[in-house]
Amino acid sequence: MDEKIYILIVEDELEVMEALIKDLEKFESYFPVETANNVSEATEVIDYIIDHGHKIGLILCDHVLPGKNGVDLLIDMQNRPETMKSKKVLVTGQAGHEDTILAINKADLDHYIAKPWGQEELERVVVNELTDFVIANEKNLLPYMQILDAARLSDALRKNRMTDH
Amino acid sequence: MSKSTGIPWLNDNAAILNFIHKLVDELDELQDQLMALNEGELLFSQGEPLEFMYLILEGNIQLTRTQPDDTEVALITLGPGSFAGLIAFTTGEPTLTSGRITTKGLALKMRPQQFEQYLNDHPRLKHPLQQLMLNNMILRYKSNLRLQTKTHLLSKELNKDRNNLKAAYKQLEETHQMLVHQEKMATLGELVAGFAHEVNNPASALMRSAENLVEIYTGFEDSDAAFKLFKFGLNSEPVDSSTLRKRMLDMEKKYPWIHERATIRKLAHMPDKALALINEFKKKGTLPDLVNHFEAGKMIQNIRIASRRIANLVKSLKSYSRQDQNKEQLADIREGINDTILVLSNRLKFVDLTLQLNEIPKTCVFVGDLNQVWTNIIVNACDAIEERGAISISTSYDDNLIKVKISDSGPGIPDEIMPHIFEPNFTTKNQGAKFGLGLGLAISNEIILQAGGSITAENRKQGGAEFTVTLPVRDDC
Repeated sequence: MDEKIYILIVEDELEVMEALIKDLEKFESYFPVETANNVSEATEVIDYIIDHGHKIGLILCDHVLPGKNGVDLLIDMQNRPETMKSKKVLVTGQAGHEDTILAINKADLDHYIAKPWGQEELERVVVNELTDFVIANEKNLLPYMQILDAARLSDALRKNRMTDH
Repeated sequence: MSKSTGIPWLNDNAAILNFIHKLVDELDELQDQLMALNEGELLFSQGEPLEFMYLILEGNIQLTRTQPDDTEVALITLGPGSFAGLIAFTTGEPTLTSGRITTKGLALKMRPQQFEQYLNDHPRLKHPLQQLMLNNMILRYKSNLRLQTKTHLLSKELNKDRNNLKAAYKQLEETHQMLVHQEKMATLGELVAGFAHEVNNPASALMRSAENLVEIYTGFEDSDAAFKLFKFGLNSEPVDSSTLRKRMLDMEKKYPWIHERATIRKLAHMPDKALALINEFKKKGTLPDLVNHFEAGKMIQNIRIASRRIANLVKSLKSYSRQDQNKEQLADIREGINDTILVLSNRLKFVDLTLQLNEIPKTCVFVGDLNQVWTNIIVNACDAIEERGAISISTSYDDNLIKVKISDSGPGIPDEIMPHIFEPNFTTKNQGAKFGLGLGLAISNEIILQAGGSITAENRKQGGAEFTVTLPVRDDC
């Protein structure tokens, strides 16, 4: 796989960032993890990934960040063709109602995880979202059988074969 | 007795009455017109057309008027020499008043036509009657003037009273709101104090567990290298993501045989000395273990940092919400400012905060109340700069006065609202979801005034608003 699907984590608190990375370790051999501490850095990272011909499969984003906030970043991504299909998850204990509604309506938010999160919940969300992403965007689903939702991938594979014939 | 240019004796009701009495004695047809006035009788009622006019010779008639709200007002009591029903009689319109006899006596009762007749038939009667009528009119006119003046005065008084009442009511309303607000704050303070107390236990447990874990863990370490790596992890600093990216690139070059990104990232967290240990001790297949010793130290360090943060927040929350609000105490105001800043750390997270808390003497204050003042001013500043900007807080001491200045880099206070900012219920917040209810500055003002100090606001030349709180130094608590 020379074209990689990235997971991007945006979080300004370093200890929290480390915990998130640790919890996503098992995915990293399939989906490289990239990190950013604020929106402008995240934008640079996104540009870099896209420019090198890779994709962003999933972004886990904190809301309250220095400078621009997380929901703004998600909206920017939604308005950009290369990142429109990326699965967008808000990980925060702090977004107000209005911000969350804005994220759902304007950024097509896929999921909301409240801090403090649980390892199981986080993994479930990541598996679900990435499964959706690869089914919608990848031709070859076999490599992901090990790490993502095998049952749904098999279903999708069967459907794909039906449509191919 | 009025001084008129009229004939003096004609101005004297008594003289005229005497004269009329004499005439009545002389003239038979006048005798027939005499009627006895019986006390308590109603002579005529308001709104009726009047057939007769009465000239009172003896006794009294009281004129009353029924108001739209059915209350009866006594207007005037007519005595001998006065006409009753004179106006209705003259204009021919229904009477404006009711006439009730209050003292028995005697009256001359006349129909309009008769009256004309008398005047024509008895030239001698003409003058006194006319004079009497004129006198009556003058009297009524005077009383009317008096009444008008009185009414004017009364309505002025009434207006004044009404305005006073309005002001008093507004004041009461404001005081009530303030009390409710204070009560809310006090309750909130109690809850916060209780909450802080509760959180304190798990925070302490966390801190202690982290330290105990360090001791136990060091006992587990089976090799010198592992123990050292654990120690390195324990003393590591968190790395920001852009530095981490650079270091990860270095690691990829340095360890081309490592393909796991997660391992590369862990190595990127390590200081050079730790990496040297890894290079020295890694045998085939032991790399993940070695890295994990460092990781374990790093995680315990994270628990330490996080639990210390919680403990500090709890500490400031506890002292911020001190429940000694009813007692003045000698305190360093700067401590309250620091507590407030910590409690507001969520609002101040991305604010460029400059503190210049110069040495000031301790003074007698209600610590909890003052904290409310700092909170109100700082929260307003946060709103003004929309959480992204600069706020600076300074303390100074001069001439037995402590000055606390809080300024922001916001748009400043518009001139038109500047005079009103300390008024109760003045708010620029239209959503109740914010911290304040528009009572913040009014209450702050109240608190500072009670402490014998003053609070002022102005716009700075370089932009933004600046609040100055001045407090006298006291040690009499």
